[in-house]
Amino acid sequence: MADSGAQAQPKPSSSVKLVLLGEAAVGKSSLVMRFVNNDFQENKEPTIGAAFLTQKCNLPTRTIKFEIWDTAGQERFASLAPMYYRNAQAALVVYDITKPSSLTKAQHWVAELQRQASPGIVIALVGNKLDLASSNPNSGSSDGDDADAAPAAEGEEEGEEGEGDARRVPTKTAKAYADEEGLLFFETSAKTGLNVAEVFTAIANAIPETSLKGPRGVGGQTSLGRQEDARVNLVGGRTEGAKEGCAC
Amino acid sequence: MDTLDGTIWDVLIVGTGIQQSLLALALSRSGKKILHIDPNDYYGGAEAAFSLQEAEEWANKVDAGSSSAAYANISISKPEKAGSDASAPSLSFSRAYSLALSPQLIYARSSLIQYLVSSNVYRQLEFLAVGSWWVYSGEPDLASNVIAGEPSEGVGQSRHGRLLKVPNGREDVFQDQVLDFKAKRALMKFLRFIVEYEEQQEVWEEHRQQPFPTFLSEQFKVPVALHAPLLALTLSADSSNNTTTEFALPRIARHLRSVGVFGAGFGSVIPKFGGTSEITQAACRASAVGGGVYALGTGLSSLTNDEPSGAERNSETVGSGGVRVRLKDDETVSTQWVIGEESEPTTPKTTYCRSITIVSSPLTPLFPPIAEEAPDPACAVIAFPSGGLSLDEGIPDQPELPPVHIFVHSSDTGECPAGQSVLYVSTSLSGEKGFQLLGKAVETLLRTVDISPPPTVLWSAQYEQRYSAANSSLPPSSSEHVLKFPPSSVDLAFDDSILDQVKSVWQKIMGDDAGEFLVFKDREANVDAEE
Repeated sequence: MADSGAQAQPKPSSSVKLVLLGEAAVGKSSLVMRFVNNDFQENKEPTIGAAFLTQKCNLPTRTIKFEIWDTAGQERFASLAPMYYRNAQAALVVYDITKPSSLTKAQHWVAELQRQASPGIVIALVGNKLDLASSNPNSGSSDGDDADAAPAAEGEEEGEEGEGDARRVPTKTAKAYADEEGLLFFETSAKTGLNVAEVFTAIANAIPETSLKGPRGVGGQTSLGRQEDARVNLVGGRTEGAKEGCAC
Repeated sequence: MDTLDGTIWDVLIVGTGIQQSLLALALSRSGKKILHIDPNDYYGGAEAAFSLQEAEEWANKVDAGSSSAAYANISISKPEKAGSDASAPSLSFSRAYSLALSPQLIYARSSLIQYLVSSNVYRQLEFLAVGSWWVYSGEPDLASNVIAGEPSEGVGQSRHGRLLKVPNGREDVFQDQVLDFKAKRALMKFLRFIVEYEEQQEVWEEHRQQPFPTFLSEQFKVPVALHAPLLALTLSADSSNNTTTEFALPRIARHLRSVGVFGAGFGSVIPKFGGTSEITQAACRASAVGGGVYALGTGLSSLTNDEPSGAERNSETVGSGGVRVRLKDDETVSTQWVIGEESEPTTPKTTYCRSITIVSSPLTPLFPPIAEEAPDPACAVIAFPSGGLSLDEGIPDQPELPPVHIFVHSSDTGECPAGQSVLYVSTSLSGEKGFQLLGKAVETLLRTVDISPPPTVLWSAQYEQRYSAANSSLPPSSSEHVLKFPPSSVDLAFDDSILDQVKSVWQKIMGDDAGEFLVFKDREANVDAEE
């Protein structure tokens, strides 16, 4: 009896709220578009129009449904609402590997998350625009001049790394920082799709099972199940409902 | 990039209270360039919600006179733990709390709900059911045979009085075992009337100004003991003799008409995570999605009419009627419209005393299941009727004190950790007496609820809320392009007239291009097919 039952049993599925942070124009929305729609737009306008996307990520033992909250540009004056971070189980902090100042900004957001967000939040640091780096993404720049790459001024052209290599943030620098803060770390290209799915899979795997809340009726939740029972559904309400309270 | 100096906008909104935030939402698809600022470094204005630490910062700022005029006389207390007992219940970390300054119930029939749905903003919010309504009775013997169906319906039957559950509509009344036939009939007659009271003006027209209890007695022969639960449903802040029939009828009707709309047995909801504050944030977020720019900690210091002055103007500057605005940090922006709050209310000033108390108990007996297949309740309403509590016991002929209302929020609201609850208490009695009355109500409630271990107070804040603008009020201006909302409401239920005000401002700004108010298509390119 167990065999057929196990076959038909759908994998437990849970929702994970993921917030995106990072300096303007580092490719936050592009990463999400690549992940959700497997699509990339060159010269994308600054984000207007999307604040909330969902995408499923299938793991061997469970399905994670990401609810991805884009900042919608509210971070420009550091004026994100508390509801943005609240209950986020994961955060993607993005910088641009061709722009050292964007890593500084990313570090700033990591500190903000550590101060404001849920204590158990999984944070992934992502260096985007890997397609702009030279063909060997892992070599980074030569070891000699990388030590202070992150805080370096925006001034470009300081050390030409050869034809076509616009990388200004060595992998090593960012990786060392991520290790120190206990962050997941990836370099990606939203343009080519390189490593994008890997970021989300790694986050999904890093979310502790205990912090997952399942949608109604799935997953055999225990303590957290109650929260779902409390939610009021505002749509599809019974239109004739008012009779309950008054006229008969 | 991050400077506002010299920028040009269509609409500048000052303050992120509920009215301004809903306006920002209403304009979010208009294509207008919107700058939305708030002098505070938090969202929500008078409707804000705070962590413990933020609440303390807020209290300090108000003390120093640098924050909103809507609140005053704030004090925060953390009772000392008795002894050094490590197992004694204690506060959790600051961010485990989200405490609403001005919590409100939202009735299912409120147009706010309808607009949150039509604008799709509800997708970023969660709503929880308001469950049982209770009335405190200080006279256990008299009261027990009145409205509590059977002893088990009353929570806590100590000699200090008890809490009686307000029947949830006619079925409850009908099934009541204790009400005598005459009382039942009178109540049923009134409930039948109230659902169609608009059509029966002849019954109440000439009694509009009459105290509601008098109306109940004279027109419907409703026994005096049933007045308190009916008055509770009005959420009237005034004492019973100052609560008029014309005030009470629509509010009771609203309550009863809302029951059952979103599920059996409840009629109102609260947003999760800190009440109206959550709605303001979701609305601002939607506006940001539409391209609105948000800057907190940015106030406004002066307004000047931006008359066209010849050569220096180029085609990019605002047309005639625009306003030049100096912000607090000396940046100057230009805008066609400025929207903020009135600095002084047009109606007489009222002051409420409020308190927020974190309690070391889930107070489970206050949250019985609402009905089969109804969601778990996350809020209970307790009304101490006018005259139900007194401060100077033993002194005869005291004037009747106004009612006290307590909203008890469970940890399901996300406003406190599991195992605790938050009491939001308010009364229209102001000053020191008001605070004493709040304290008395909390003490009485905690003593009356029959639960072990007995609840203790972990943290408490008390403050006065005035019906006057938060600090987003605008300086006087003669310009027709400077529009002002009245100050935020102090009502315990969301006041739909706020939406009328927002709509009228929105219409002025939009002119003929207005379209339908707050009706938007879904913005998400990727809507999950399963939902």
